[in-house]
Amino acid sequence: MSVLKVNICGVEFKNPVITASGTFGYGLEYARFIDISKLGGISVKGISYNEVRGNPMPRIMETTSGMLNAIGLQNVGVHKFLKEKLPLLRKYDTRVIVNFWGKTIEEYVQVAEILDNADIDMLEMNISCPNVKEGGIAFGSDPSMTAKVVSECRKAIRNKPLLVKLSPNVTDIKPFAKACEDSGADGISAINTLLGMAVNIHTRKPYISNVTGGLSGPAIKPVAVRMVHEVSKVVKIPIVGMGGIIRWEDAAEFFLVGASAVQVGTANFVDPELTLKIVDGLEKYAKSQGLSNISELTGKVDLSK
Amino acid sequence: MKGIILKNERLNDKYRLMEIESPEFAQTAKPGQFVMVKTGLQDYLADPLLRRPFGVVDVRGNTFRLLYMLVGKGTRLMTESPAGSVIEFSSSLGNGFKSVKNQNIALAAGGVGIAPLLWIAKLLKDDGCRVTLYFGGRNQEDIILADEFRPHIDKLIITTDDGSIGEKALVTAPFEKDAAGFDRVYACGPKRMLQAVSEICVKGGVPVDVSLDERMACGMGACLGCIIYVREGEETVQKRCCVEGPVFDGSKVVWESVCR
Ligand SMILES: Cc1cc2nc3c(=O)[nH]c(=O)nc-3n(C[C@H](O)[C@H](O)[C@H](O)COP(=O)(O)OP(=O)(O)OC[C@H]3O[C@@H](n4cnc5c(N)ncnc54)[C@H](O)[C@@H]3O)c2cc1C
Ligand SMILES: Cc1cc2nc3c(=O)[nH]c(=O)nc-3n(C[C@H](O)[C@H](O)[C@H](O)COP(=O)(O)O)c2cc1C
Ligand code: FES
Repeated sequence: MSVLKVNICGVEFKNPVITASGTFGYGLEYARFIDISKLGGISVKGISYNEVRGNPMPRIMETTSGMLNAIGLQNVGVHKFLKEKLPLLRKYDTRVIVNFWGKTIEEYVQVAEILDNADIDMLEMNISCPNVKEGGIAFGSDPSMTAKVVSECRKAIRNKPLLVKLSPNVTDIKPFAKACEDSGADGISAINTLLGMAVNIHTRKPYISNVTGGLSGPAIKPVAVRMVHEVSKVVKIPIVGMGGIIRWEDAAEFFLVGASAVQVGTANFVDPELTLKIVDGLEKYAKSQGLSNISELTGKVDLSK
Repeated sequence: MKGIILKNERLNDKYRLMEIESPEFAQTAKPGQFVMVKTGLQDYLADPLLRRPFGVVDVRGNTFRLLYMLVGKGTRLMTESPAGSVIEFSSSLGNGFKSVKNQNIALAAGGVGIAPLLWIAKLLKDDGCRVTLYFGGRNQEDIILADEFRPHIDKLIITTDDGSIGEKALVTAPFEKDAAGFDRVYACGPKRMLQAVSEICVKGGVPVDVSLDERMACGMGACLGCIIYVREGEETVQKRCCVEGPVFDGSKVVWESVCR
């Protein structure tokens, strides 16, 4: 499968298909159903310093070709993750990316320091969750705040590459991507969920207790493709593209606009085997295009008239 | 997994019964478990996007059955999947009802909540239990599969809101009168009904297992969209309805958080 082998920020992945944070639990949930060793990598559910119980129910609602979620970054906390989840996950032959967040810059740094010394392959900093008031989005919606939190974490992280995951809930994503690169990020993940809302016309109440939620799934793909394209125009560091990928063709689109790897999120709910089908599809496609490696596709969108 | 739809039978305007052939599934499923289902049309359209959870009615040879109520887009597409077409589904998910021997058992069902109770009724009866089914619905249309139950139960008590069949009452009314006499109760139906049944059981000191419905995205424990709250000692803990459930000890469920 060398045609699919990619190197992202110095880490080699057997293929460029990674499961997106929050949609694949700690990886172990799916191990019963698919061979997770066939995945390029797994980005685990966003980890914070302390355990977080998340938002009240209901937290999810299906929308047209997508879903809204307001899970609220529920997770077991970094210590329990390292003790109870990571050793089990490491038994599989796949790259482990740990998505993390904090309520304050100090907390981001605290979690980053701990993870930097853990047996993981890469960190992914989430500054873009629309479902928690503190942290997350506050750092992802002001470029100077983004620069601050990224550079503080950068100082704390010495051993691992750092991806920063951007929010699409901004008018222009480019300054955020640039701020990340300038502050020492090794790569960009884009995009997180789009802020959305759905109302039950019979009860006149929002379907989700948090009122708004993050929109994901095929419905957001065109927005995500556009944003990855924009990001690729302003940064040189690798981009991990995501948002609505459900077939290998979707993944190929992300490569063309500048992604070096992709993450697959909501599609895992639709069919736990979809990621593996995407790996197969991409391999056949790369070969049929006469590529010696899938990375030759990165940024090759033809914009000529 | 994939299976072939052998039958997709219309029971009335509200309910259908689907029989699916899949030896692999039939060998592994247990009573009270559920399955996430996606039709071929859904696969093609990407709308509706997510799979839909349904309780397993029973397994016979290489086939299993689903009883489904027409609700929205997903169940509409299920009606449009004819016999002979292929349907996709997960393996059997969740924990089921535990089987017991030689006990006096009550089953309490509300509407489509009857779906996961037929199989456990058969097993209980085969294991020497005396089984009484309390079955409530809005009207006659909701009282489905009752005839299939008859060989596997000792007593059937039907209630409807409008009295179109059985007693005009909530299912909890006749159940409450007899509750203290049972060794164990299994219930599935609307959350308010399950709450009422559980409260009656707690009062009478009868163990009660309830099968809960929560909106599910993944059905396999990853998304954390299906959280319910249960008491463990002094603490209130979170459980995923899909993995730690859908069957829970009704006396432990924090009903205020579940009935919203
Ligand atoms: C463990 C479990 C077992 C179930 N067993 C059965 C069964 O045997 N027979 C049956 O008829 N129904 C059952 N349900 C409910 C069934 O899943 C919903 O009626 C169905 O998903 C509705 O889909 P729809 O597309 O027609 O409706 P829509 O309203 O279009 O669905 C929109 C979204 O809401 C979800 N949803 C809607 N109603 C429910 C509900 N009551 N519970 C969970 N999610 C819901 C859907 O899955 C979907 O994601 C069960 C639910 C759960 C959680
Ligand atoms: C239920 C759910 C939970 C999520 N949790 C996280 C999270 O903890 N951290 C994070 O960075 N992104 C989280 N996301 C965002 C996804 O990782 C991904 O960026 C987004 O869903 C878009 O991709 P998709 O359309 O393929 O799902 C979550 C998404 C969903 C649907
Ligand atoms: S439905 Fe996803 S965790 Fe239960």
